[in-house]
Amino acid sequence: MQRTAVIGCGQTHHKKVRDDLSMAGLLREAAVRALEDAEMDWSDIDAVVIGKAPDPFEGVMMPEVYLADALGCAGKPIMRVHTAGSVGGSTAVVATHLVSSGVRERVLTIGFEKQSEGDTTWGLGGGRSGSVGAGGYFAPHMRAYIDRANAPDYIGPAVAVKDRLNALKNPYAHLKLPDITIEQVLDSPYVWEPVRRLESCPTSDGAAAMVLASEKVADASSKPVAWVHGTAIRSELGQFPGRDPVSPQGGKDCAADVYAQAGITNPIEDVDVLECYVPFSWYEPMWLENLGFAGVGEGWKLVENGTTNFGGKLPTNVSGGVLSSNPIGASGMLRFLEAALQVRGLAGEHQVDGAKTAVGHAYGGAAQFFAMWVVRDEKP
Amino acid sequence: MSEETKTDEHVAFMSQMVNLDYKIVTSPVHRHFDEQMREGRIVGHKCPSCGLVYVPPKGFCPRCSVITNEDHEVEVKDTATVTSFTVVTPIQYQGQKERDEYVLANLLLDGADSSIGQQRIEGIPHDEVRMGMRVKAIWATPDERTEEGGGMRGWGLTSAVKHWEPSGEPDAPREQYQEHVL
Amino acid sequence: MLPMTDIAIVGYAQSPPTFGVQETETQMLFPAVNEALARANLTRADIGFMCSASCDYLSGAPFAFVQTLEVTGAWPPISESHVEMDGAWALYEAWVRLHHGDIDTAMVFASGITSRCDWREVSALQLDPYYLMPLWVDDISLAALQANALIESRKATERNFAEIAARIRGGDADEFLKEPYVVEPLRAHDTPTMSDGGAAIVLAVGDRARELCERPAWIAGIDHRSEAHYPGVRDLTISDAARIAGQQSGVGKGPIEVAELAAQFSHEELVLREALGLTDGTVVSPSGGALAANPVIATGLVRIGEAANQIIDGGRKRTLGHASAGPCLQQNLVCVLEGE
Repeated sequence: MQRTAVIGCGQTHHKKVRDDLSMAGLLREAAVRALEDAEMDWSDIDAVVIGKAPDPFEGVMMPEVYLADALGCAGKPIMRVHTAGSVGGSTAVVATHLVSSGVRERVLTIGFEKQSEGDTTWGLGGGRSGSVGAGGYFAPHMRAYIDRANAPDYIGPAVAVKDRLNALKNPYAHLKLPDITIEQVLDSPYVWEPVRRLESCPTSDGAAAMVLASEKVADASSKPVAWVHGTAIRSELGQFPGRDPVSPQGGKDCAADVYAQAGITNPIEDVDVLECYVPFSWYEPMWLENLGFAGVGEGWKLVENGTTNFGGKLPTNVSGGVLSSNPIGASGMLRFLEAALQVRGLAGEHQVDGAKTAVGHAYGGAAQFFAMWVVRDEKP
Repeated sequence: MSEETKTDEHVAFMSQMVNLDYKIVTSPVHRHFDEQMREGRIVGHKCPSCGLVYVPPKGFCPRCSVITNEDHEVEVKDTATVTSFTVVTPIQYQGQKERDEYVLANLLLDGADSSIGQQRIEGIPHDEVRMGMRVKAIWATPDERTEEGGGMRGWGLTSAVKHWEPSGEPDAPREQYQEHVL
Repeated sequence: MLPMTDIAIVGYAQSPPTFGVQETETQMLFPAVNEALARANLTRADIGFMCSASCDYLSGAPFAFVQTLEVTGAWPPISESHVEMDGAWALYEAWVRLHHGDIDTAMVFASGITSRCDWREVSALQLDPYYLMPLWVDDISLAALQANALIESRKATERNFAEIAARIRGGDADEFLKEPYVVEPLRAHDTPTMSDGGAAIVLAVGDRARELCERPAWIAGIDHRSEAHYPGVRDLTISDAARIAGQQSGVGKGPIEVAELAAQFSHEELVLREALGLTDGTVVSPSGGALAANPVIATGLVRIGEAANQIIDGGRKRTLGHASAGPCLQQNLVCVLEGE
């Protein structure tokens, strides 16, 4: 296996509606920024891997066909990954493998969603009435967690507030809610009880892109790069007797695999920054447990005692996370990208000092698809 | 580095409604399940390998990858335990027919090992619904049981069970339903 | 570092071709997956990585692949991915994954049910949503543009198309030419017979492949390329993407005995033959190709599987499987297979 590094990152300014750009334009905004960061031109790219959530969300089937031109793929390979919500992450993993296998040297990977051009809730319902969206599906699991862990009801709102305040330091984030408080969240209406609107992710138009390169190419970069120390993906059946959707085995296995590759034996000590996929506030304590940062029933305590705050021991979603920007097809990739920015020292105002090891995580489907990577500022 | 791309003129939006026709095909195993529901019976398949009962039946066991058929049919009760739930405030998107809040629950039917989701609970104030609550099916009258809606996702095929209501039994202890949240 | 060349196809099966399947997509996949594994002498638990292919717009609902995941018995959790493209690209992803050396087997599967939608209508959704899709130009009309380009440039005639169709379908070219156009210059026999189907392929590495299969079909080279999307900016009489993919996968390095081409329209075979540099010595699409049965998402994977079987069972030494996507052969994947 070849060493692989992230040498360029780019993302759009995520907004509810980007009516200033077409879909192709949206992707190019992210891609051009990634190429500029990588100090490359379109002609330097060997292959493109694109990721996106269900086609019915924008009404474009197999968008890689239409987008080939905008992404400079005449005469080049382009392929599209789709693993539901985890897609941004698994896309980055597939792109990484193209380089680590030696098949390609410089791969552009990009995830996007232009949700303003469709209707997600409609799309999730297959065009029929009665769609409850993702929140309606996950709410019962969050309730089960709160019940099992005996977690106080302000934990979810605390996560929601933390992520939105973090987002104020991220110029690309969608939601900017400088006055948000826990009381405000506790007072806001439920959408899928026990989940309140202010604890739920927005729908955003946005794209995220990275340039992945071989060791030879990365060594020639004039900027710090992020070295990939591990990648893993896992899928489990969405519904069967004995499944635990609150802390899915697939998530645990994915984490164990990627930690083994990266030599992480004590996650809370070994990891400096965590970007995990939290579309509804309660998923932060749930993932902290699932990914081995806290014991069973203890995840919420890391929220309460400030461990996951920007200045805490395990800053989590300092970019604002999915709760602040959610272009679905890009959301997973944003977690991976933000992790890379941190160890490159290029996260600007939301840079965590001394970040050397960062974890990116994404999930999708019925909390059944998982993708993760570990990146560091030095070579494996 | 370039700033956010701005143009002097906005790229305008144009609404394009796309209308595609699809044939909803009910598989034989679902059709049979639907027919049984109209007779007032809830059936599932019991896997010959692991012994788990799936309701509605899929025609295979997803854990064992073993094909199942009517030889493996078992009947389950129309009483169940609420393993988890949410109160939905319906989002008003194009084509949405729901207007008021309602309860959607995951239920573990007595006799089944797989739980079913997206079941409506009525006849109780929303804030009294709880995990572990025991419910019974409220059946439509035989005349009302028609093939309605349709879909490839199992349960939504039939109008035979209108919704579920509390059965009045004592709540099930947590150990019984904890593993069956979904 | 050059890509590995000791990754082989050790098992392939497709579900019995049909149209109007009554079962669910998952049920339809079971026979293909079970048989492919049986041929490879493996069980699901032995597989190190799985990759599936499906298309939401064919099924008419999002997340079709979440249902078909149930054919994999994904418990305990598995390392698995999915592409919303022809299964040939899922095979490509699995081939890349196997380079890492931590696993030595992989399985890919693809399913397409075309009987529940009007594919001509649905195919238009693949086009540029701002400029092309609103024209609702369907796949047959676009193919006709390409066929006409061939005729106008004198590279082919309608008779050439009919002869290809007659070879594939059985029948007489003269009789075919008497039929009316569907979209000029294409007649019904020039267009694909749509079908419902699933297919699965098992891959293995090096000595493992030799253990599992007496005569593995080694992937000597595999590559895929795209061209510009807009038919108007392309020379439709040639396929640069197929040519480059063919070169990069090493088609020219030796004679190709059998080429399974995913030519959905009879004229596409002519374009592909030229792009891939196939000689008259190559037997083209003996399985009937995509013209005889087109389940869309499984089409390319079936071509590669059929080309592999020519080696595994058929004693051939060098074959090729091809897949395509997009209007007028915009994207092409070529997989060159060799037997020892």
